[in-house]
Amino acid sequence: MFQPVPKEKIDRLQLIALAGLMFLGTAFVFSATMVNPVETEKSWFAQTWFRQDIWYALGIGAAVALCVVDYHTLARWSFVAYWAMILCLVAVLIPHIGQTHGWGARRWIDLPFFQFQPSEFAKVAFVLAGANFLSRPPDELRQPHVFWQSIGLMMLPFVLILKEPDLGSALVLLPTGLVMMLVAGTPRRYLVKLVVGVGLLASVFVADLLFAPARWQIPMETYQRNRLMIYFGRDYTHFALPGATPAELQRLRQRQLDDAYNVRQALISVGSGGLVGKGWRQGTQNALGYLPRAVAHNDFIFSVIAEEEGFVGSVIVITLYAVVLFTGLRIAGQARDRLGKLVAVGVVTLIFSHVFINIGMNIRIMPVTGVPLPLLSYGGSSVLCSLIAVGLMQNIHIHRRGY
Amino acid sequence: MLVFDELKKNEPQLRLIAVMLVVGLCILLAGLWWVQVVSSHEYQSHLETQAYRTIRLPAVRGKILDREGRVLAENQPHYNLSLYLDDLHRQFDAAYGELYKSARAAQKQNIAAVEKKLGRSLTKAERKQFTYKPEQLQALREASRVRVARSVVAGVGARVGQPLTLDAAQFNRHYATRLALPYPVLKNLDAAQIARFEENFSGGLGADLDLQSVRHYPLGTTAAHLLGYLTRDDSSYEGEESFFSYRLPDYRGRVGVEAGFDMQLRGRAGAESLLVNNLGYRQSGNLWSQPEPGQNLVLTIDLDLQQAAEASLVKHQGADVRAAVVVMDVRNGDVLAMASSPTINPLFFTDGLSPEEKRREDARRTDMKLRPEINRATQENYAPGSIFKVIIGLAALEAGLNPEKYFDVQADPSRPGKGCIYVGRRKIDDTAPPGEYNFKRALERSSNSYFIQAGLLAGVERIVTLAEKFQLGEKCNLSTRQETAGNMPSLDRVHEGWSDGDTANVCIGQGEVSVTPLQMSVVYSAIANGGTVFWPRLVSRIEPQDPVSREATTNFPAGLVRDRIGVSARSLRIMHNAMLAETEDAEGTGREAVVPGLRICGKTGTAQVTDEHNRVVDHTTWFASFAPYENPRYAVVVMVESGSSGGGTCAPIGHDIFEKILQKQTSAPAKLLAAAMN
Repeated sequence: MFQPVPKEKIDRLQLIALAGLMFLGTAFVFSATMVNPVETEKSWFAQTWFRQDIWYALGIGAAVALCVVDYHTLARWSFVAYWAMILCLVAVLIPHIGQTHGWGARRWIDLPFFQFQPSEFAKVAFVLAGANFLSRPPDELRQPHVFWQSIGLMMLPFVLILKEPDLGSALVLLPTGLVMMLVAGTPRRYLVKLVVGVGLLASVFVADLLFAPARWQIPMETYQRNRLMIYFGRDYTHFALPGATPAELQRLRQRQLDDAYNVRQALISVGSGGLVGKGWRQGTQNALGYLPRAVAHNDFIFSVIAEEEGFVGSVIVITLYAVVLFTGLRIAGQARDRLGKLVAVGVVTLIFSHVFINIGMNIRIMPVTGVPLPLLSYGGSSVLCSLIAVGLMQNIHIHRRGY
Repeated sequence: MLVFDELKKNEPQLRLIAVMLVVGLCILLAGLWWVQVVSSHEYQSHLETQAYRTIRLPAVRGKILDREGRVLAENQPHYNLSLYLDDLHRQFDAAYGELYKSARAAQKQNIAAVEKKLGRSLTKAERKQFTYKPEQLQALREASRVRVARSVVAGVGARVGQPLTLDAAQFNRHYATRLALPYPVLKNLDAAQIARFEENFSGGLGADLDLQSVRHYPLGTTAAHLLGYLTRDDSSYEGEESFFSYRLPDYRGRVGVEAGFDMQLRGRAGAESLLVNNLGYRQSGNLWSQPEPGQNLVLTIDLDLQQAAEASLVKHQGADVRAAVVVMDVRNGDVLAMASSPTINPLFFTDGLSPEEKRREDARRTDMKLRPEINRATQENYAPGSIFKVIIGLAALEAGLNPEKYFDVQADPSRPGKGCIYVGRRKIDDTAPPGEYNFKRALERSSNSYFIQAGLLAGVERIVTLAEKFQLGEKCNLSTRQETAGNMPSLDRVHEGWSDGDTANVCIGQGEVSVTPLQMSVVYSAIANGGTVFWPRLVSRIEPQDPVSREATTNFPAGLVRDRIGVSARSLRIMHNAMLAETEDAEGTGREAVVPGLRICGKTGTAQVTDEHNRVVDHTTWFASFAPYENPRYAVVVMVESGSSGGGTCAPIGHDIFEKILQKQTSAPAKLLAAAMN
């Protein structure tokens, strides 16, 4: 008779793609940081690429630990994690607890061994908690107060992260939450109204930013306004006071050039890569310091890859992410229950949002918003959370439907 | 496909998400395609624009040699000591760090002091007053760089043995505009300093020697006008790249041979490309095309005769005399010497002089009377005076004048012992005494009266036609940018509004006739060689600097015939004899020129210079000659402004030159003999 075909416990394809991404991450963090003479003087175990590998190891450990228990158990603790992260987000806003590290935004809490970035962990906690909340029977979701509660669940971390300020990380929460609500079965009309409402608000916001005279402008950090203006190609001199002298206009233009510098250098890096790139560690933009050293190994790591491996390299990176995302969707399809499906969908959307915003930022189809590229950017919190998120997906896969 | 089969069943939302993912990734792929494949060249060129700099490297200039290969103009290597700022980058940063720290400490102290006074801590807004503005930080950066540069320069100066200073403003300007290039600290090190520098430094420390090729005239101001001078000009020539980020100092000839043959002398500039980092510091360099050295110019000038002419002018008249000498080879028109006085040091124009020397030269240069920049041999029109009479004489002889026929010069009633002639109602003075003159006597005593009647007999048209054959009133095409054509009335001119009085003026070399000393040397060469008017030749050939180079030598053929005067041999013989008498007879005005052992044919001249009211204000004295009488080879023309007389002022200079010529002629076979015997 027939014997049950032994099922794969873990999704191998996804893990292979992840291994590929981790390999690329190590290689290009190495390339991006080793041009810095300060870096080469450190012993190899203190160097940045090695530290990235340590985070990978730690992350893998955490993911494995998560897979040991059934995700339902984890879901029971989801709200604890959620409120703990909200507390951390509040804490990071307090001046002496939260550190800016010179970036002008208070995003980190300095622990003895680790710079803890609560926004990253908050995103994963939100996915878990949101999935847990939305996994109730679909009929309940038709009730308006449940709808508003799920919006509140999303808005609370959104507003807190926005206050740091960290526009990019806050933004990724929105599509994630929206997609999870869609898949959960929230009635269409609510979602449509929500999308239309948000769309209107966004247009008003952008219009105010670009066209309004000084008195009507919404208060916002200068550098964020500048970044958005650069993205929309708005000339700073448009906002000069009527009596501005040519010298002042010149200074405004100079400031615009300086602010647009990162994007311009990223574009030049990506564009000059050509079809096959210049070769590993042969990227001139990075070596000569045109791509600022401070961002080359995290937010703009994709520029380094694009310059050194060209279009071919970019396609490989996108393919690897595509594999992770689509296997994630398959996991969602084969999940045992709504909770599993929602978590998987949430994670997929989270990762996709990061990828889209970061790569888009590198080629100027998105404004510069400081979102890391999962697993490729250097950064302990980002790596840990990406791997934890993947661990959750694997967990769902392990405990999937028996058929 | 991976996922879609599994999702087809009953997961419309997941399908929707899958579709959105695909769309999103495709947008990214399309964007990447656009940037990386389609626009790749544009971004690559942006990269190059911001990261590459090009430098124009001037080539080594060709040398200028005399006919025997002796150097008149060459290049000398100047070693400059320069700072290489990319090596000092780290030190700049460290110095700035220290200065910033102490500035912050000072800021904190100030805040503490104010707080103490107020008895409370300051608010954020009040604290803001103490923060450093960007301009202050910028000034701090500049100060830190200047401090580091000064210490390096002081250290280098101590080792080289000469105290060196750094001009802060100049350094900052260099840093702002030409960071990728080395900053010169000390120019033109001498051998001892170079040795000390090389001994004490072995790489690193940010300072090194830089080589620059500089024009050098080893003989000082010899042939200064003929050679010309250079000025600083680093613009691109035709056929060169027109855009460079930086240009190393280069020079271009302005006048003289340096200008006329600048294209051959300058060679072809090379280019180097530098890679700079985002701060502007030089990372690496790459020589992209070697500069090609210029070609050498070999002139027809004989250095011995040139120096003899210049020395003679100084000896007899002093260094500020306004004069010119031209020595020409009558057989082919080669210019053997061309001297003009006063001279100006060519290094004045390229900053090769010390400040006091420069001030002195500038004072001379602007002196309206001296006008040292004019090449008096080719660039100024002078009234020829009596030396023009040879042309009158030839025209008259051709017209049928009997050289043996005596003409009676009448006495001048107002000047006892001197003759005169009346043309119409006008009286023209004669320096010769009254009496009977045949051709020979008239020439040797330079009698105005005789030649005026001879000229009137020949008719002005004949004179003008003959003068035109001698190419008077035309330039000699020397390409030195220093020529005037002189003036000779044309046939049209003499046909209307022309009187006998004008002809009389022309006969004595005054009035509407004006010439340059070079033109007169061509005239006298033609008379000497039997009637051929040559194109004067200044440059003999252009040859490559490197003797083993495969480049071709350009030869300029000698003895290019310009015209023939068409005068009979008999007339010329009569003329030669008369001119010989001028120097050898006791009565001759050119006695001072005589050199024992050499038979010289000459003619002196003293022309009047009048102002606009026709009052005589000055005299131009001449001595034009050729030798040896038996077989003419050399023509010498001497002109001195404001001299006393041709015979008294110019003939002694001619004497010195002919002495040198004789010396060369006699010693040359002796040398050959000596060489053959050894």
